[in-house]
Amino acid sequence: MQLSPAERDYLYDSLCLQTPIRPDARNLYQFRPLEAKTTFLPGSNGSARLRMVDGGECIVSIKSKVVKNESVNSLLECDIDIQGHRDDSNFVSNLKYNLTNLLTKNFPFDALRLTKKYSFKLFIDCIVISHTSYPLTIISLATYLALKTTRLPLLVSEIDDEEVEEQPTFSDDWEDSRLLHEITGQTFQPPIMITVGVIGKNLLFDPSLEEEQVLENGLIISFYNNKAITPISNMNLALNANKDNYKGIDQSLIISAINMVNKYCSAVIHALDTLIEQDDEVDGTIF
Amino acid sequence: MNDKKRLSSGLTVTSKVFVMSRHGGATKIVREHYLRDDIVCYSKACNKCSSLIKSNPQGEMPNIALSDVPNKIEGSRHYIVLDTNIVLQAMDLLENPAVFYDVIIPQTVLEEVRNKSFPIYQRLRTVVKADDKRFIIFHNEFHQDTYTVRSRGESINDKNDRSIRKVASWYHSHLNDNNSSSPIKIVFVCNDKDNRQKALKEGIYAKSLSEYIEMLPNADYLRELIPSDNKSFTIADEMSYQEYYPESRILGGIKNQTLFKGILNISRYNFLQGTVQVPNFKKPLLIVGTKNLNRAFNSDLVVVELLPKDKWRTPSSVIVEENTVDNDNFEDDEENEFGNTNSIIPDKERLLLAQEASKAINLASSDKIKEEEKLQPTAKVVGIVRRSWRYYVGQIIPSSVSSDDGGNASKYCLVMLMDSVLPKIRILTRKGKELLGKRIVVSVDSWDSKSKYPQGHFVRTLGDIESAEAETEALLLEHDVEYRPFATNVLKCLPAEGDDWKVPENLDNGDPLLAKRVDLRDKLVCSIDPPNCVDIDDALHAKKLPNGNYEVGVHIADVTHFVKPNTALDTEGASRGTSVYLVDKRIDMLPMLLGTNLCSLRPYVDRFAFSVIWELDEHANIVNVNYMKSIIKSREAFSYERAQKRIDDSTQQDELTKSIRILLKLSKKLKQQRLDNGALNLASPEVKVHMDSETSDPGEVEIKELLETNSLVEEFMLLANISVAKKIYDAYPQTAMLRRHAAPPSVNFENLNEMLKVRKNGMHISLENSKALADSLDNCVDEKDPYFNTLVRIMSTRCMMAAEYFPAGSFGYPDFKHYGLAVEIYTHFTSPIRRYCDVVAHRQLAGAIGYEDLTLSHRDKNKMELIVKNINKRHRNAQFAGRSSIEYYVGQVMKQNESVQEGYIIKCFSNGIVVLVPKFGIEGLIKLEDLGDSNTSLFDEEKFELSFTDFQNQKRKVGVFDKVTVDIKSIKDEITGKRKVHMLLK
Repeated sequence: MQLSPAERDYLYDSLCLQTPIRPDARNLYQFRPLEAKTTFLPGSNGSARLRMVDGGECIVSIKSKVVKNESVNSLLECDIDIQGHRDDSNFVSNLKYNLTNLLTKNFPFDALRLTKKYSFKLFIDCIVISHTSYPLTIISLATYLALKTTRLPLLVSEIDDEEVEEQPTFSDDWEDSRLLHEITGQTFQPPIMITVGVIGKNLLFDPSLEEEQVLENGLIISFYNNKAITPISNMNLALNANKDNYKGIDQSLIISAINMVNKYCSAVIHALDTLIEQDDEVDGTIF
Repeated sequence: MNDKKRLSSGLTVTSKVFVMSRHGGATKIVREHYLRDDIVCYSKACNKCSSLIKSNPQGEMPNIALSDVPNKIEGSRHYIVLDTNIVLQAMDLLENPAVFYDVIIPQTVLEEVRNKSFPIYQRLRTVVKADDKRFIIFHNEFHQDTYTVRSRGESINDKNDRSIRKVASWYHSHLNDNNSSSPIKIVFVCNDKDNRQKALKEGIYAKSLSEYIEMLPNADYLRELIPSDNKSFTIADEMSYQEYYPESRILGGIKNQTLFKGILNISRYNFLQGTVQVPNFKKPLLIVGTKNLNRAFNSDLVVVELLPKDKWRTPSSVIVEENTVDNDNFEDDEENEFGNTNSIIPDKERLLLAQEASKAINLASSDKIKEEEKLQPTAKVVGIVRRSWRYYVGQIIPSSVSSDDGGNASKYCLVMLMDSVLPKIRILTRKGKELLGKRIVVSVDSWDSKSKYPQGHFVRTLGDIESAEAETEALLLEHDVEYRPFATNVLKCLPAEGDDWKVPENLDNGDPLLAKRVDLRDKLVCSIDPPNCVDIDDALHAKKLPNGNYEVGVHIADVTHFVKPNTALDTEGASRGTSVYLVDKRIDMLPMLLGTNLCSLRPYVDRFAFSVIWELDEHANIVNVNYMKSIIKSREAFSYERAQKRIDDSTQQDELTKSIRILLKLSKKLKQQRLDNGALNLASPEVKVHMDSETSDPGEVEIKELLETNSLVEEFMLLANISVAKKIYDAYPQTAMLRRHAAPPSVNFENLNEMLKVRKNGMHISLENSKALADSLDNCVDEKDPYFNTLVRIMSTRCMMAAEYFPAGSFGYPDFKHYGLAVEIYTHFTSPIRRYCDVVAHRQLAGAIGYEDLTLSHRDKNKMELIVKNINKRHRNAQFAGRSSIEYYVGQVMKQNESVQEGYIIKCFSNGIVVLVPKFGIEGLIKLEDLGDSNTSLFDEEKFELSFTDFQNQKRKVGVFDKVTVDIKSIKDEITGKRKVHMLLK
């Protein structure tokens, strides 16, 4: 929805206040409400469907394949499909690059290692069915949910095949399959990406479509293992906004954005984890 | 994931999730699984299910097989629910008419059986189909009430066990909760102790197989037939074979070519040595010694690994004589250094080893290096993909039965199998002493890595060794010939009129197929066969046409009129593949009624036939050919001899005789043409055993004699086969049923040619083409010895390839060639009563001429491959069975006639010679020890000569092709119970 100049001014002013007022009355560090369902695609190793209150919706499916050991980078392959955008458009390529880059740099690849010669390769397919604000958040959160619930079949043949070739053989029981963190034995918290809007001296988490149109700048901050990490980048989050408001970013704001992410994002992760836990108990329909 | 969802009344859907692990991948698979509430219990005693009975899509009603008054056990009527282990271990008992009636086979069991052993699965299906034993299959996996969900952490076996138990408890409550008028006990028979205990806890009446048998009134008889429970074998570690590699390692190894898969072929001369032909190497790999053979049986599909190069062999120049099988403690000639071969050899080294092996094989097949330097790679068995286990015939080794066998307790004894390439089998029996001197059937259960012998169990006895019945049945079993009477469902497919069936009098009765038949009853048709032939496949006619050409017709029994595709009768015929002719017995491919009556082209009655009618010119060239389904009336059934007499008798001038004379004249021309083209005239030492007609004792042996009339029939059959082959190939270029005979590879003839060159002044058999071969065979004549030519022909026959059936799409046209007959394309069409190939050819020809549509299975290349594979195998087995039968009877004849005969040396080794005696068609080995002083013997390998000092202290020299006089007698081997020819040089 395009805002009129009057609306834009009003919104800009209220977000620049000492104590800003967001149109949906959120706190600065607050995300929009979302609902999600995991492991709903029976044929996938892991899957999630996530919907934001503004109607943005994303489906992520993760499938595995046994491959000969190659470089670690090629063990994850992300593909993003966004309704209404060409696959080769800048918009989609940027998102794909962001996600791939984030995951390959922050992933417990040990969990994918099968034998000395074979590994699992994960194919992460994201489909954004609809979105209003910049879709990276929903993609990233849905990917988080899907990765958290991804199960890999249990290898029953020898692990050491350095000297003598073994054809990997797996338990036929799906119940034997294991979650990624069960394989490594360590907690596994997939990385996520947070969009932070910059306006005046204020920073706001998860800007909505309306907010995006008046932002002075946008930050994308990654979060992994309970702290903000690189890549951190800035960009104009609004897709079709006129660039009147867009300006440079104050260095100190980046620092405070990182601090804010460090402070509040654990709560986001916690909320998602809780969602998965409850998902196991509740049976039945998807939304 | 396992929640059920109702789709419509009586139908719910659920899903199964599992991991498919194939080619190293792992895929999560989700399958929908539909559940119904209308699956019937198949019991006549049930009052609930009657409303559910519906016909299947073909309109057939299900067979409610379980009796409402089943047999009693301990006073109460009962049905039996079987566990998988019972079916797998005791299939013989399930087939036994004395026990197991009203049996419920849960679908879970059926599927488990199919995965474990396909032959047993097929036998189980047969028992179910035959319905005299009242077996039913209950589709528990699809029944809403008996479907089970695999629970967390439960193994698939445990889940299946639970499903099977659920069937038992479901049947119990289904039948006995205000349903059946009299209570029916459900007995769950299971040999798994753990499962049985679980069942008992769930209130199911569960018994082990032996417990169940003991409850029966005829337990005494049945007790012996209970298979050995593997766990009851407590054998000290007498041996330790290497454990087989896990499947993952085998699959990985085969993929990266460090392990090789192939069929094990144990040497006929040495049962401790085998070869495996694998695609990676040109020549088979050698496997020597029990440890390397590692519990593999002959013709198992095995996986082998190359042994290090220092264990490779040079081919031994001494030919291993037939093994002394009675030697129980046969010492392996291999070093026991398995400790170090067990250590892991990396793939890299093994790949190098494989390259070395390839080189060594190439080197060995070239002539560049000396015999002694030729290395043959050896290998060991590291896994068995598929066992070839079946029923085996053998006899108990007397020394293995302890003489102080007083009590009734079961004892171990060893069974020597008739097939000398197989190991002895250990069985547990109480009747060891009783069974001595009998041919018995045993089945193999397992071969533990700690046990020296495979473990099996006694199945039944065939009778005394050397009694005709026992020996005949034994050889049928050994050659896998199905000889049981035809099942009822097969016989049901025959015409209801039985022997009274007649060709309809009114040919215009509305049957469109009948209308398409051509009425040939006015033709002067006759048949010529061996004397007393009852299954007359073929008949002929000929007449001169006004234009000077001849009309010649070949009429073949129209078997496919009665054997329709996709019937039980057709399936049975396809699986038997061929009739088997033994000396005293014939095992039919099709039921008697068809073979000897309805299809048989008997004289004086109307019969359906499939006719091929040519117009031939004076030189027997084909001017025109027509194919038609017809009705004929044979005027006469001749024997070869009678036909010959009639032709020769110049007073006979009737039309029928004249037409036979035309046939004879033309057949001679056809034969000449064939020979000119290079058809081979090979020979085999075929003999015929005359039976005393009253006692059926073999009387004498004679060599088969051929009359002109034999070849009269033969020539026209060949002509018909060739014409039909062309026609069906035109119509079905991918699936036409054809027969080919490949040219023999020159290596086969190397040895024979070398012998001819050295010993017969440079005689030579050329191999450029069949014409050259035929001519060179004609030139191999020794003026002093008229039999020599036949001898060379016999020896050449052994160098030839075997002819085989194939679907046209499997080879290119040039490879269709039939080398022996020197024709481009060939099939079998003329004996549909006794060969299944001909049945297929008939159907394809009927399709080709637009008589009726061809069934899908003869138009589908994959299905044709299966059919062809089976009939090739059956054909081979039938030949072997026939030969063994003759061999046995010849032995019996010789038993009474110890005699002195003329023979020819056909092979010469450093330690003995092989002599062929044409009179009996037998050959035997004379060992050096029996020839003379073995110390002074000298073997000239170049000249195929052996010189020695005989027992009269005279120097003698014998060589290949020499005519010798031998003393023949038949000696019974006490261990194998087989007769062997024993020859001594005079």
